[in-house]
Amino acid sequence: MGKQVDLLQGTLDMLILKAVSLGPLHGYGVLLRIQQISLGQLEVQQGSLYPALYRLEHQGWISSEWGESDNNRKAKFYQLTAAGRKQLRVESEKWNRMAGMIGAILETKSV
Amino acid sequence: MKLLARFRSWLRAVSRRSQLDSEMQAELHFHIDSYAEDLIRQGVAREEAMRRARIELGSLAARKEDCRESLGLRLWDDLLADIAYGFRMLKKSPGFTAIAVVSLALGIGANTIIFSLAKAVLLDQLDIPHPEQLRLFTLYLSAHDSLIHDVWGTFNPGPGGTTETTSFSYPVYELIRQQNRSLQDIFAFKELGNYDRLTATIDGHAQMVTGQLVSGNYYQGLRIHTVLGRPIQPSDDLVAGRGAVAVISDGLWSRAFGRSPSAIGKTIALNLTPVTIVGVNPPGFTGAANVQSSPDVFVPFSMQPVILPQGKEPLLKNKDLWWIQVMGRVQPGVWDSEALAALTVSLNQAIRATLPIPKAAAFPRLALPSGSRGLNEMGRNWSARLYVLLALSGLVLLLACANIANLLLARSAARQREVSVRMALGAGRGRILRQVFTESLLLSLLGGIAGLMLGYLGRNAIPRLISRSWQPAAFEGRFDWGVFAFTAGVSLLTGLLFGLAPALQSTRADVNPGLKDGAATTTKRRQGLAGRAIVVFQISLSMLLVVGAGLFVRTLVNLDQTDPGFRPQNVLLFHVQPPLSRYPGAMGIDLDHQIEQRLATIPGVESVGVSSLPLLANNVSDTDFVPDGQANHAQHEAEADLNLVGRGFLQTMGIPLLFGRDFNDRDTESAAKVAIVNRALARKFFPNADPVGKTFTSSGKHILIIGVCADAKYSDLRREIPPTFYLPYMQASGQPDLEGGVTFELRLKTVPESVLPAVRAAVASIDQDLPLVDVRTQTEQIEATLANERLFAALTGAFGVLALVLACIGIYGIMAYTVARRTNEIGIRIALGAPTGQVLRRMLSEAWLLAVLGIAIGLGAALWLARFLASLLYGLRPSDPATLVIAGMLLMGTALAAGWVPAWRASRVQPMEALRHE
Repeated sequence: MGKQVDLLQGTLDMLILKAVSLGPLHGYGVLLRIQQISLGQLEVQQGSLYPALYRLEHQGWISSEWGESDNNRKAKFYQLTAAGRKQLRVESEKWNRMAGMIGAILETKSV
Repeated sequence: MKLLARFRSWLRAVSRRSQLDSEMQAELHFHIDSYAEDLIRQGVAREEAMRRARIELGSLAARKEDCRESLGLRLWDDLLADIAYGFRMLKKSPGFTAIAVVSLALGIGANTIIFSLAKAVLLDQLDIPHPEQLRLFTLYLSAHDSLIHDVWGTFNPGPGGTTETTSFSYPVYELIRQQNRSLQDIFAFKELGNYDRLTATIDGHAQMVTGQLVSGNYYQGLRIHTVLGRPIQPSDDLVAGRGAVAVISDGLWSRAFGRSPSAIGKTIALNLTPVTIVGVNPPGFTGAANVQSSPDVFVPFSMQPVILPQGKEPLLKNKDLWWIQVMGRVQPGVWDSEALAALTVSLNQAIRATLPIPKAAAFPRLALPSGSRGLNEMGRNWSARLYVLLALSGLVLLLACANIANLLLARSAARQREVSVRMALGAGRGRILRQVFTESLLLSLLGGIAGLMLGYLGRNAIPRLISRSWQPAAFEGRFDWGVFAFTAGVSLLTGLLFGLAPALQSTRADVNPGLKDGAATTTKRRQGLAGRAIVVFQISLSMLLVVGAGLFVRTLVNLDQTDPGFRPQNVLLFHVQPPLSRYPGAMGIDLDHQIEQRLATIPGVESVGVSSLPLLANNVSDTDFVPDGQANHAQHEAEADLNLVGRGFLQTMGIPLLFGRDFNDRDTESAAKVAIVNRALARKFFPNADPVGKTFTSSGKHILIIGVCADAKYSDLRREIPPTFYLPYMQASGQPDLEGGVTFELRLKTVPESVLPAVRAAVASIDQDLPLVDVRTQTEQIEATLANERLFAALTGAFGVLALVLACIGIYGIMAYTVARRTNEIGIRIALGAPTGQVLRRMLSEAWLLAVLGIAIGLGAALWLARFLASLLYGLRPSDPATLVIAGMLLMGTALAAGWVPAWRASRVQPMEALRHE
């Protein structure tokens, strides 16, 4: 694994939404998916993953269902709800705008 | 929507706690296992893989708690923990818990009972659809030159010397109703009440029932449907003397028919007139007159001439007598002021059309107050008393609060260390405050539950205390959601109130000194002050309550000891009400005379009296009295009270005859009219002359005075003895006073029970359809008129005793606490040679000081507040010195007694033990 980057405050929720938007995942699967997408660059604190999942479900952005994992064990799978999809879009737009703005500021050459 | 979804998720988490827990457990375990397997696949040894997986996730319990917090369960979890902890604390000190819960239960129970009474009397509305739409036609008659003279109904004093009445004549009602465009249909009724009960013969068994005459559109107007059969309809009320139908109350249906549907269609006799039962009212319906209790039978107005004949023509045609009550519902879109203006016009037209109008006539003023509580007579008569009772029970609860606050304060001082430890470990002040309040509310809730049960058990105590033993209860204590909500609210409020002091105390705690062991500490002086202030407050509240109790108890004693002017002992009373349909006019008098003679022959009966009204039963009849040759009296002065009596009345009641002769057998209808007057009348109308032999005019008759008797109380014990004259009932044919029947008085040589069967047999041998009504002794009758005073004396007495007990606990608590805190100091004093007597005095002087302060404050408050009670007292002023002195001494004694035990314990402290103590 290469050098890892700490997660920015408040972005975990967005990443979880993005991860489950590609298909239902169990908690450990969400962790793996985020690492996979970031090519191992992002390290999610395992302790903060589950409270975040419960918070998102409580807010109605994801829903959960018990199912079977690849190794035939009972696992809880999360998937995006319609409200969650909308929320993800809003968050992504906000993030992109912000990233663009900050990028522009940082690239400004000194006068 | 989102909020709702969140709430649902929260609720699911709360209600399925163990399921949620096991799911979390399973999910986290799955995570650890999956991670470990991945690690093993990367070549880590199994043991090491599991270890690393567990470490990465961290403590399972902590993760689960985080997840629960995510679900918004934090407050809930804290609350449960607080409650569990609170219960443990209460269990640890059972003595304190018992005292707190019992005193709260008494306070809250008392408030619940009084509130359920107040609610029934002051708040409850008629159990009909939209009672707030009802308007009650009300008249204000001016004091002079009023057009209306003849009223059968209740009066109340109105503003500006006017008289308020709700009575209308039937012809006026009909005219107004025809003209009415401003209210929805207008309907009328007449509550016959306890004075005009009906004899109902049901399945051959005669009993007395209460009734209401109603107009044909009454049920439509109230929008009431019968639960069985049909209501009274306009077609029942068309022709006078026709429409022999009745709707019965749920109560009578249970009592007389066992709730059998076969009651419909049954024919019963009302005052010997057969009527058919056509319907049964719903249980909550009490008629339009009041909300407390329902009349037994409802009969159309058209039946009045048959069932209740009065005079020659039907009352429905009578233009002079104002006797029926009128109501209407507001019309949507019509303002009350518009309706009032239109109805005033048609009222004045109707009066012009039915009454002769003299020149200087004053028309009555119409008003349309809400009829949502019927005529609301109970509310009128009781509101002042109820406010006093509500205030007193509120004071008792406040006292209980102060008591618990004081005990809690002492406890919170003892728990200072625990609080300091928690704060040192990082608990926020808010968190500690929340826990202190949770404990207070837990206590108040326990007290509230106990109080509610107490209130439920006692709900009928007051209605029973104020109703007469020989009549059905005036109303039942009703327990419903309103009462429940009140009790819950009061419990909560008390919890917050008494939790306030210890809560403030605990957040003021400083962590550092609190943690130092046994520090005889920094906050001591301040907190002792709070406790003492509460004790002073308690003593002054107790003083108030004890003074109140003293005033009411002395009022009752004064009334009990008032000389009524006659001998009430060994006199049996009963009422006989012959139906006028069987005994019209003079035949009723013959019947009474026959019964009187038959009763006199019963062994054990010393003498027999007859009177149109019983004595001391809150009834009075007054009429004009003009001595011949003194025609220049002003109208209101030429009046005296009247009772129509039999010849044995004065002797039976034990009213001494002072001059002249008593009535005898020769004073018959055909003989010269005679009268006996009392001393007060003689003094008023014949101040310098012997009244015997003088004549006077009353109701157009010349009457000769043949005797003067001693003064005797007439309607009630409080009232001054009025100028009264007695006429022989044998000479009073046609007097309306006789139409409601007469009361027989029997002076007995033995106990009533041994004579009563013979009395019943004697009356039945004359007419077996005549029930004896209201059988009671004269002593019971007097006690019944004192029911309100007795109720007040009993309640305020109980409140007073409760107050003393609570004050006792409070003083004992604070003293015991002081002694415990100062054991060390006292030990040093004794070791240095202080005599035990001095220690004792020192400690007692503190209790004494608190008591003096409290009593002084209480005295001031009592003097100020007692003015409001003046109208309820008898024979003493609100600032009655004896009551105040006794109350003060009682409290002082209580304070010193309560302080004695801890003080004595202090004086017996062993110096060595005390010094080792800390």
